[in-house]
Amino acid sequence: MSEHKNWYLICYDIREPKRWRKAYKLLKGYGDTLQYSIIRCRLTMRDREKLRWELEKILEPEDSLLIVGLCNSCLERICLCNRPEAWSIQDTGFRIL
Amino acid sequence: MLQTLNRPALEQETLRVSALHALVYCPRLFYLEEVEELYTQDAAVFAGRRLHAELAKANDEDWDELTLESPELGLRGKVDALRTRDGQIIPYEHKRGRCYRGNNRQPQAWESDRIQILAYALLIEAVLGVPVSEGRIRYHADNVLVHVPLNAEGRQAVHNAIHQARQLRQSPQRPPVTDNERLCVRCSLAPVCLPEESRLAHNPDYPALRLFPRDDDREVLHILEAGTYVGKTGEQLKISRQNQPDEKFPARQIGQIVLHSFSQISTQAMHFCADQQIGLHFISGGGRYIGSFDTRQGSIQRRIQQYKALSNPEVCLNLAKKLVACRGQSQRKYLMRGQRGMAEIPPPLTAAIDQMQRLLKQVDLAPTIDSLLGLEGNLAACYFGALSHLLGEDTPPELRFTGRNRRPPHDRFNTLLGFGYALLLKDVINAILVVGLEPALGFYHQPRTQAPPLALDLMEIFRVPLVDMPIVASINRQQWDVDADFEVHKTHIWLSDSGKRKFIELYEKRKQETWKHPATNYSLTYRRILELEVRLLEKEWSGEAGLFGQLVLR
Repeated sequence: MSEHKNWYLICYDIREPKRWRKAYKLLKGYGDTLQYSIIRCRLTMRDREKLRWELEKILEPEDSLLIVGLCNSCLERICLCNRPEAWSIQDTGFRIL
Repeated sequence: MLQTLNRPALEQETLRVSALHALVYCPRLFYLEEVEELYTQDAAVFAGRRLHAELAKANDEDWDELTLESPELGLRGKVDALRTRDGQIIPYEHKRGRCYRGNNRQPQAWESDRIQILAYALLIEAVLGVPVSEGRIRYHADNVLVHVPLNAEGRQAVHNAIHQARQLRQSPQRPPVTDNERLCVRCSLAPVCLPEESRLAHNPDYPALRLFPRDDDREVLHILEAGTYVGKTGEQLKISRQNQPDEKFPARQIGQIVLHSFSQISTQAMHFCADQQIGLHFISGGGRYIGSFDTRQGSIQRRIQQYKALSNPEVCLNLAKKLVACRGQSQRKYLMRGQRGMAEIPPPLTAAIDQMQRLLKQVDLAPTIDSLLGLEGNLAACYFGALSHLLGEDTPPELRFTGRNRRPPHDRFNTLLGFGYALLLKDVINAILVVGLEPALGFYHQPRTQAPPLALDLMEIFRVPLVDMPIVASINRQQWDVDADFEVHKTHIWLSDSGKRKFIELYEKRKQETWKHPATNYSLTYRRILELEVRLLEKEWSGEAGLFGQLVLR
């Protein structure tokens, strides 16, 4: 039950502006936007399920949502195949501003 | 002696049906949730909620969610769905997992689920006045529907459970950890209940499994620049610095915000921090710990137990002895470690190590807290007297250490110590607040301004590994610039901006290193050990003593 974390890529298509805004705000609380409607998050199982539940309360059947879990070798390949800025990782555990 | 009132109000209060579910799963879980008011939600809890949200959408038309309460029965609850089948009203309960399989693989309800659905059935009978003959549970993982008949035996089982729940609610005693270890592995409260550590406390040979998360990897945000503004937009924290573009951070990636010197934080952001359980701490521009935002989470029950235990002088003395021994031994071991690799061991160093050994032998015999304070003072004097011998030959004279001084520090070494202890105090208080204890009631230190005694007590364990060691190591690595990293004033010396940055980096990196806990025998990061140690302290007066204060350097 250690809190293992994984990267997720979350993509969505939401048909109504009000719901879109709600979902967008919520997702920004969990991760960073890579491109419009594509967000990456690093989540524990607990966070992932919480996010899915919170999204389920917002979304309607007509909206689409895709959550892609990425394993470590997926991650290496992202960095290989794309532009260098596509997926920058800073993981120091602290920040000094 | 502290008097606690019995709480007659609770007697009248109805029980949630889901609390009954918890009770049948594990009485200790029930107690922690209902009496100590600790809730943690794990992945399964949220997955279950999502299932309900999805079901509610899928059955738009005939989905009835009913909130019912019956004071006579003593229950309240929300029934998932009520359906009418063949003229009979039947409550349904949806479960995400698998059903229980009997001897011949026959699908059955788990006992806790069975009591839950029967309780709903009884509640419907009592409130709506209609007879209910059975309840049904759908297990979604293996798509099984289980029928649970409401018979005399079932009724009795629910009444028994309610009776047991009421008694537990009145009890000041936390029930023991369950014998069935498999329950704990799946329990959302395991990191709070620490079942494995409790078993270890009763049986030192028990091979403890680590249910406590290895690390809390939410980031710590240090805000050094004065005039920075911390606000909130949506679910993000917004940091606006002067002459810099705004920066936004997802709230769930932040575990603590530390405001050094004078920065602004909006009330909205503070509310948000409380809601997201983000610790908020203030440190002055001079590197003094000012205080923390205490949202008083954690129930009064835990604090009452703490008040009771720590108003007992004997308990206090025992804990204080452990603490003084723990710190003293760590100090001594650190000096001994410093001897390694030395071509020639300076005689004062050996003398201090020997003297400390003699002093440590007296700790266990100390009759009062006052005599302990004396011993601790002597230990500290030996330690700080010898610490300078651990500094390398080529240490610049400005960074040499001649003795402890503070408020304000007069030399660079003491400036580093002072700032380090301020950061450590901040982290210890953060851990105390997370666990829900009272920082102001300690067992060893006497109350003085600002620093709460319990935090000062707990800090003793971590001074050597988290502050002293990184400082000496960094000086020996010649990481410090004696001019640029310090601000020399007439009466005191402070860290400059670059010095603070360097120090925070040093300290935070140290906190991420792992240490194998000598009592529980598993490794955790220091930042996690801080919290574990507070939880182990809390166990000292909850009938599972013996694990606190064992963190001694090797």
